[in-house]
Parts: sequence; C-alpha cells; structure tokens
Amino acid sequence: MIRQRSVDWAARLHLPTMGAALAVTAIWWLLSRRYGAYVLPSPAAVAVGFVGVLRSGEIWRHTGASLYRILLGFGAAVLLALLMGLAAFLSRLARGVVHDALSILNATSVFVWIVISLIWFGLSNWAPIFTTFMITLPVVASNIVEGVENVDRRLLEMGDVYRLGGREKFTAIVIPSTLPYLVAGMKVGFGLALKVSVIAEIFGVTTGIGYIMNYSREILATQMVFVWALVMILVMMVTDKLVFDGLSRRVARWR
Amino acid sequence: MAVKLAVSGVGKDFLIPVIESVSFAAEAGEFVCLLGPNGCGKTTLLRIIGGIEPASRGTVLLDGKPVAGDERHDRRVGVVFQEDRLLPWMTLRQNVALVLKPLGLPPGDREATAARYLRLAGLQGFEDYYPSRVSGGMRQRAAIARALAIDPDVLLMDEPFGSLDAQNRRIMQKEVRRIWEQTGRTILFVTHAIEEAVAIGTTLIMLSARPSRVRELVRNDGSVERSKLIDDLNTMIMEEVERQQGGSPV
Repeated sequence: MIRQRSVDWAARLHLPTMGAALAVTAIWWLLSRRYGAYVLPSPAAVAVGFVGVLRSGEIWRHTGASLYRILLGFGAAVLLALLMGLAAFLSRLARGVVHDALSILNATSVFVWIVISLIWFGLSNWAPIFTTFMITLPVVASNIVEGVENVDRRLLEMGDVYRLGGREKFTAIVIPSTLPYLVAGMKVGFGLALKVSVIAEIFGVTTGIGYIMNYSREILATQMVFVWALVMILVMMVTDKLVFDGLSRRVARWR
Repeated sequence: MAVKLAVSGVGKDFLIPVIESVSFAAEAGEFVCLLGPNGCGKTTLLRIIGGIEPASRGTVLLDGKPVAGDERHDRRVGVVFQEDRLLPWMTLRQNVALVLKPLGLPPGDREATAARYLRLAGLQGFEDYYPSRVSGGMRQRAAIARALAIDPDVLLMDEPFGSLDAQNRRIMQKEVRRIWEQTGRTILFVTHAIEEAVAIGTTLIMLSARPSRVRELVRNDGSVERSKLIDDLNTMIMEEVERQQGGSPV
C-alpha cells in the first residue's frame, strides 16, 4: 500500500524525468566551464537571468507582445478555417477547392511568408501577425475539413428520417462531431504559432520573445537567449495544460 | 380493419434488378415480419418504404397517401436501424427529445414525452446517461423509444437486434412484442432469423431470391403449430438461398 503510494507520487512528480534533467544540467554545467559563458552560459547564470526578467517585469512585456500577435494571427486563422469547414460541408465543389488550397499552403515554407510580409507590411507588427496567420491556417483548416468529412453519414441519414431541418442537423450532428477535430487542430496550430511568430519577430519589431532573443544574441548576452527560450517553453506548456487539455476533456466528456 | 400500409409493385434496380416486384398490404396494428435470404433486398425494401431511398418502380401508400420518394408527405415514419444511431454526445433523453423538435412541441413537452417513451422502453433511471455508458441492448431500447416518441403511423425495424447476443436478443424480442401490444402500432420488422419472426410477428412475408418477389405470406395466428411453421419457413428459405446462389450473375 505504502509502496503503491510512493510509486504514484514518483509518477506524479515525473521523478525519472527530473533525474534525467539533473544529469543533463550537470553535463551542461561541466561543458559551460569548458567552453565559457559566451558559447554556453552556466545553468546558474541562466537561473539568475530568469529571476531578473521576472523581477523587472520584462518577461510580461515581451511575452505579452508575442501572445498578442499570436492571438490576432492565430485567431483570424481559426475564424477563416471555420468558414472553410462550413463551405466544405455545404458544397462538394467548395470542398475540392479548399482541399487544393490547403495542400498548397501546407507546402509553403515559413520563410516565404516572412519575406513576403516584410515586403508588404514593412517593419511592423503585421509581419509576425500575417506570418502566423498563413502558417497556422492550413493546420487548423485541414483538421476542421477532415472533421466535417468524417461526420457519420448514418447519423445524418437518421436526421433525415426524423425530418430534422438543415440547421438542426448542423448544430446537433455536424458541430459536435467536428469539435474534437477543431480542438486538436487548434492545439497543434497554437504550438506552431508560437514557434513561427518568434521567427518573424526577429525583423522590424522592438518587443516580443523573438526580438529580445535576437537582441540578446547581438549584445553577446547568451544567457538571456537561454532565458527567453525557457520562457517560450513555459508559455507553451502552460497553455497546453490550462487551455487545450481542459478543452479536449470538455468536448469529449460524453465518451 | 383498415389497410394502413399498402406496398404495390415496388421494385429496385442496382445495375441488376434486386427487387423485381413486391406487393403486400398491412392492416393497422399488424406486426409484419419480412423474411428472406441474405442479399434479397429486405433492407432496401424497408428503406424504400421509409422514404430513405427511391424505388425504381411501384408505390407505397401509408393511410392512402404516397410516402416513397415524396419528402413532402405528412405521415410519420419511425425507423430503428441495425445500429442504434444515437448521437453519442447527447443523453438518451436528449436523443429522444431531438426528434420531437420538428413536430413543433415546446421544449418542456419534448422532455416529458422523451421521458415517457424511455420509460415505456424500460429505461427509467437511465434518461441522463450518455449512450456510451449503457449496454448495446439499452441503446437499442433508446432507439426504439425514439422511433415511438414521434407517434409513428408505421414503425420500421431493420434487424434491430442483429448486434446483440442471444440472451439480449430474446429479451428484446419479448420487449418489442410487449411494446407492440401496449401501443398497437403497425410494425414492419426485417429479420433473417425465422425463429425471431415466428416468435413476434403476426404476419410473415417470405421474399424470394434476387430479383425478389413475395414468395409466401403466412398468417402467424396459431392455426399452424409453431415448430411446423418454423420447419416450413426453413425449407423455403433454403430453397431460395440455393436459387440465389445458382441463378445470380455474381
């Protein structure tokens, strides 16, 4: 019984993972002594830097700026993706067009959108927003369209037999069966948005995690590059746990 | 008694003729079982009668009004499919209440009616369960409750117990028979199990091999002994199965 409980606690705290992290930190520390602070800052320097940005409030300014751009670009992508899913549901013709458009967008590199948005929007907020939008759109939309296509025809037929109207069939059958796909698409899309928007932030803006990382590199403050990488990882993990895990559970509570 | 359901000259072609021509009539309150070899078009015939699929020829009248291939008719047809076809994200009560919406009932009445028919189907206490939380037999009971809740002029059942184990099957046969006795609905029940048909139906219709016609219409009123009836129908179905295998172009 006691043994059982201790195993439980070990799993909860990810004890094996923490052990591995400890080993990696030790190796990191040894290597940092060998190569020096510019190439590889020590774990202690990174920790001090992290506490520093936390105290100064800088962490909120840059994280906030990045999240604001992500929410605009990603939010717009989700909206358009929903419209595309609706079109794919309503018309077979639209479904074909949406499919083709998404495979083209899926095949386009992040860098293409960054360069194009720099040309179109110059050095402004809109470059990271537009890039985020263009990259996350195909991911979210593909998921929604797949969800719409996977709506159980037999349930729709049941709806016809019982004379449900188009609106009722849509709200009672299509939306609930597409929701899990939407949430899965948003989860992947948001992760991608965070990774992509920081790249676009290297150019032209003066806030955001991407900007501050690149700035830290330029002033040779390598430990701050590590600090901001850590911030990014934390933001990702926290939104995953707080937002998307909760959402996934909610949309699947009938399972 | 009045003729409730009149099927005349109904046929269906899928590249080859599947149903040649089927005609029969069911009086109000009759429990008709459709029997026949696999692949003879029993399910297709049921779908045509339910207006789910168009017929290649023939007419289906419900209370004298054409229902097949005409979506504008005002007759009510309840269908229980081979699968339960409940919406997994709705509770049993919500599933039943959903089909009452097009009938124009206010929400409160929908809930009450749903609860009443779930009780009739033996699901009292399970109204707020999601389908995934109850057994296959209970899901099929809920599907029956849903079909009955719209107050159907005819209830169509397409091998509804095919996915149940033998024990549940027998229980559900008794239940359907009980519900039929309590509600007096006209039921059309497709099955390939002869014992099942003889146990619950008042009229048994044996379809022939593809392209199918009515081979025999038997009144199951107790005038023939049950075991003899089962034997006769078994002989018939084996003849039809052989004919279908011998004569089919597949």
